[in-house]
Amino acid sequence: MEKNIALSVNNLTKYFHEPETFKVLKDVSFDVQKGEFLSIVGKSGCGKSTMLYVLSTMDTDYEGNLMINNTNLTGKSQNELAAFRNANIGFVFQFHYLLPEFTSIDNVMLPALKLGKKSKEEIKEKAYVLLTMLDLKAQANKSANKLSGGQQQRIAIARALINDPAIIMGDEPTGNLDSKNTKIVFDIFRQLAKDKGQTIIAVTHDEEFAANSDRIIELSDGELLKSYR
Amino acid sequence: MAANTNIKIAYAHLTSRVKQALVAMLSVTFGISMYIFMNSFMSGVNNVQSDLAFSTLAHIRIYNDVPEDKTNLLASSASPNQVINLRNPKIIQYTDGIKNSNKIISQLSKYPQITGATTQVNINVFYLNEATKVNGTLSGVEVDNEDKLFKTSTYITDGNWNDLNFRSDGVIIGTGLAYKMSLKLNDNLVVSTAEGVTKSFKIIGIFKTTLAGVDNSKAYIKIGAARQLLSENQGYVTDIQVNIKDYNTAREIAQQLAPSIPYKVDAWQIANGQLEAASGLRDIIAIAVSLTILIVAGFGIYNIMNMTVNEKIKEIAILKAMGFAGNDIVQIFLFQSIVIGIIGGLLGIVFGFAVSVIVNQVPFHIATLSTLPMTYNIKDYIMSFVFGLITTFVAGYLPAKKASSIDPVSIIRG
Repeated sequence: MEKNIALSVNNLTKYFHEPETFKVLKDVSFDVQKGEFLSIVGKSGCGKSTMLYVLSTMDTDYEGNLMINNTNLTGKSQNELAAFRNANIGFVFQFHYLLPEFTSIDNVMLPALKLGKKSKEEIKEKAYVLLTMLDLKAQANKSANKLSGGQQQRIAIARALINDPAIIMGDEPTGNLDSKNTKIVFDIFRQLAKDKGQTIIAVTHDEEFAANSDRIIELSDGELLKSYR
Repeated sequence: MAANTNIKIAYAHLTSRVKQALVAMLSVTFGISMYIFMNSFMSGVNNVQSDLAFSTLAHIRIYNDVPEDKTNLLASSASPNQVINLRNPKIIQYTDGIKNSNKIISQLSKYPQITGATTQVNINVFYLNEATKVNGTLSGVEVDNEDKLFKTSTYITDGNWNDLNFRSDGVIIGTGLAYKMSLKLNDNLVVSTAEGVTKSFKIIGIFKTTLAGVDNSKAYIKIGAARQLLSENQGYVTDIQVNIKDYNTAREIAQQLAPSIPYKVDAWQIANGQLEAASGLRDIIAIAVSLTILIVAGFGIYNIMNMTVNEKIKEIAILKAMGFAGNDIVQIFLFQSIVIGIIGGLLGIVFGFAVSVIVNQVPFHIATLSTLPMTYNIKDYIMSFVFGLITTFVAGYLPAKKASSIDPVSIIRG
């Protein structure tokens, strides 16, 4: 196994059973290098979000094999996967999915509090660093549901970054953002891949966003159409 | 660290939707208070009914019965080949009443289950005045012990029960008897025994048990006066009446007593099958009613808790996506349901008590009652609280457990 490979999928096949059995992903295989900024593109309904959920370990109903950081994740229990996600994967949804009852800073801190490797003070400090980086320091103590869509999405990104995950995944992370915010988010991803060697995998509809990433994987009807730089 | 975070999330859930948490709490409160109220009311009614039933009836009665049927004494000694002709066999009662009552009383006092015992001399008599002749029972009683067992003093409508202590010529008669004989307080009543002895007593009290059979025929005098009427000596009694802690165990205790007492020992059920049936049925109804309330309240609580969890299911998925394990999710919701259960339960206890107290004030003037009956049984309160906690626990646990074991994506995708 190569050392530089962050994630590798082999013969990934997945079915939807509702309303009728339907093959969403057909025998997809590819590797992602460490520190690579990968975009997954394709038409609506081609299975790219579905694939990303499988890659993120949040969906276990598939055939084939998934390895992240040389750890085989296929067949692991829910709790093992949750612990793995907590430490190794940061996920940014299309919709922010913040906990509305909490302040921004609390939302960002949650995954790290769960991980429990650092003291609360250290986590708070780290959360502030991330919020500052995302230009959100002023919003730290505001309730999450009082912020604008762009701010909420950036807080969700900060939350994904708090545990320094090896892989950051985004399901159209800029889908709900205007061009200015999209640029901010893109630059952050770019910088993380370059400076910290974190791997980025993003599903996107945004052609410009995809064009500026390291590599593009295009899906069509559940099949890997092409992979190009 | 993780547990703290879970509690923090649970707390945030509870406080962010106060209204919903309140509705859940109120459903617990309602269920518990209704359970407490219904049980208090049912057992209040039951107690009144058994009080009424036991107003003249003791749990165990000891008396001198006719001896066993030994009309065929020769059956065991005769060989099959013999022909025996027995004509007109008769049961002969050699002794009348109980001669050595003090010994039996001191024997009874050794049993811890026995709460009280009193002796009586019951005589079948005719009550006489110029125009009428009514037969009935004249009961010679130990004034204080009789009251302890049967609370007779609470049935006195005229005069004073304790006056009987000081008047060996005093008699306390039932209202029906007073009416039949046109008698009132301080009138004289002439009593005639089967042996033809007559004696005049002064009426110092009138009682009303609302049991017509008793009120129409019974009269109380001091036990000494009754012995005098029968020309019997000190220590003679016809009945020893015994009360025990739990009247449902009368049969067992009567069986324990029987071997050591040379007289007939009868539990109340022997002579009062209908009362036993009524008491048993009341108990069954009480259980049925409280079970029904438990089930209905339990489903109410379960529904509300289930709704609470289902409303948060998306957040569960997000927490799982961030790496929270199934146990964390279960913890978060269990904490919420336990808080709801405890607060709702405590409110339910207070509310249930309040409703019981209020209903207990409602006037109800029938028989010896003046208000609706109610008991305040600490056991009911503890039971309902424990039940409320268990139900909320299960109601929080089951849906949380279910939510914790599915892929987060299947929730997020919808």
